[in-house]
Amino acid sequence: MNPGPANGTFPVYYSVLVSGPPGVGKLEYLLGLARDFLAAGDRVVFVALDLHPDEVRARAATAGLDLGPLEGASFAFVDCYSATASERLEPAPTKKVYAVSSYSNLEGIGMAISRAAHDLKPPVRVLFYTVSTLFLHNSAQAISKFIQIITSRVKTNVGFIGYAMHEGVHEVHTTNLLRSLVDGVVEMRFTEALSREMRFHHMRGLRVDPAWKPLPEDGVPPVEIAGGGAHA
Amino acid sequence: MTARPDRVSTGVPIIDQRLGGGFVRPSTILFFSEIPSEKRLFAEHFVITGLRKGETALYVDFFRAPQLARREFASFGSFPEDKLVIVDATSSQLLLPSQERYRIASVDDLDHVVEVIKRALRESRPSRVVVDSMEFLADRFDRKAVMRHWRELIEVAREVGSVMCFLFINWTYGEADVLEIQGMSDFVIEFQTSMRAGILRNTLRLMENRTNGLRTSWVPYTFKDLVGLTVYFPRILVTGPFNAGKSSVVKALSKTSVSVDRLGTTVSFDYGNVDLMGLEAELLGTPGQERFEFIFRIFAREVSGVLLVVDSTQPGQLERARQMLGLVGDGVPFVVLANKSDLPEAMEPAEIRRLMGLAESVPVVPTVATEGKGVREALQRLAEIILGGS
Repeated sequence: MNPGPANGTFPVYYSVLVSGPPGVGKLEYLLGLARDFLAAGDRVVFVALDLHPDEVRARAATAGLDLGPLEGASFAFVDCYSATASERLEPAPTKKVYAVSSYSNLEGIGMAISRAAHDLKPPVRVLFYTVSTLFLHNSAQAISKFIQIITSRVKTNVGFIGYAMHEGVHEVHTTNLLRSLVDGVVEMRFTEALSREMRFHHMRGLRVDPAWKPLPEDGVPPVEIAGGGAHA
Repeated sequence: MTARPDRVSTGVPIIDQRLGGGFVRPSTILFFSEIPSEKRLFAEHFVITGLRKGETALYVDFFRAPQLARREFASFGSFPEDKLVIVDATSSQLLLPSQERYRIASVDDLDHVVEVIKRALRESRPSRVVVDSMEFLADRFDRKAVMRHWRELIEVAREVGSVMCFLFINWTYGEADVLEIQGMSDFVIEFQTSMRAGILRNTLRLMENRTNGLRTSWVPYTFKDLVGLTVYFPRILVTGPFNAGKSSVVKALSKTSVSVDRLGTTVSFDYGNVDLMGLEAELLGTPGQERFEFIFRIFAREVSGVLLVVDSTQPGQLERARQMLGLVGDGVPFVVLANKSDLPEAMEPAEIRRLMGLAESVPVVPTVATEGKGVREALQRLAEIILGGS
């Protein structure tokens, strides 16, 4: 399966940064992508740094995506959150989760993504929520090299990767560097009336409409590329 | 292999053999990679190997809480837990209490971090030490200060007679810094994990940091729960002329094997998995008849090495054997198995080597495959050649 821009989704081997202020709906957007990828028969790895996998499961359910039956078959978590939270001493979870012990262990995050992709069988869609958390624990230089290596590794051998990044918490040059490391950028913002908008800033090799568009009320925006129909 | 008191085993027999029994005590080993790799598996295997020999091992962990580290060590199977000393550099990061004797109260104070590790070294006098990982410090502190403390740690480890291993993935340093760090080490083990066709492949190579020191080829390895790390050679071709005994070699070496044959001769191929101590290999046995050469050509791609089986009683087949070797291509490591060596009319290995026009360095190993004689030795010799170095 290789859905191209004409049918309104991202290429299989591609990288995207999803940028916007906290609360604007980046997680909903990634979960909407996950739902559509899974519905299309793709396999998905969700890298959870900001949230416990249970919270992601719950949020996915409200977006109409029941991860339960899919986990281990077409969906897997890379869990960087639990080891730093209180339940880190609990026995290993029954569901197959690729645990990473520390936000500082960038190599461990990279290997967990590789292992998860290997077990699900590439091509795989990797969703990373969020890259901003890494900045609390590592230098911008280390993270940039990490993102560059992971992006090229995923695009060569694994498939698609989409990173969420909180806007307004990073230095401008850091933001610009991260934007330069990916094929495309999805921007999200609040209007003055606090309604939400998004646009495709640029998508390498794809024709996109860069105009700001309102997000639908249910918080699951469509992927609209090259005039493709809204992704249900 | 008899253990030597001045050596610490790596836990990988084929590497130990090449090192003369293991790493010399004391020494400094750099576990290095430029991109994410499974170097921690090798480090943990190294630590477990020591613990099981009754040695004390010190593990400095910047990434895992001690409880989690101990749980992950348990995936290797049982070991004497009281011999594992952990420097806990994680609990304070998580604002949690620590049960460990050596605890880093603040990872923001480099002097303090290094002092705790030095104290643990001096008091526990471990035979093996792993620092997991140096990039944690390299990413947080001034490069010059990190390098100075790094050298101090090496000195203390030497004083107490430890083999000190530093894990290091280079996120932030320049080429000159990396060279300097490699120069501080007696051995550099470089790791690679790559994904090809959806399969993760782990390889490592070992370089001794002295003139004419050991340098191995890239050695593939794999990991299994309760077994630990094993060297793994995919696609070892077992080939040779008709009726030389190829299937018997595959069967003799394999814990499980499959043969597709008719009237006692292989018409398709044999497949087997070898599992000797610390060495695993995948064996592909080809049919010997020339009419199956198309299968041979498919199997001959990307092979790790060749076990060339010849019938010691059939000098007329040696030309065919040589021709089959040519089909695999130049530069592929191979060993000749002089099979049926128990028969009265069998040629001596030297005679086979001469008739085939092989170099003196090519091992010709006498075997009796039906009785399993010599076949393990032949595979061992092949593994040594694949490993490379000298």
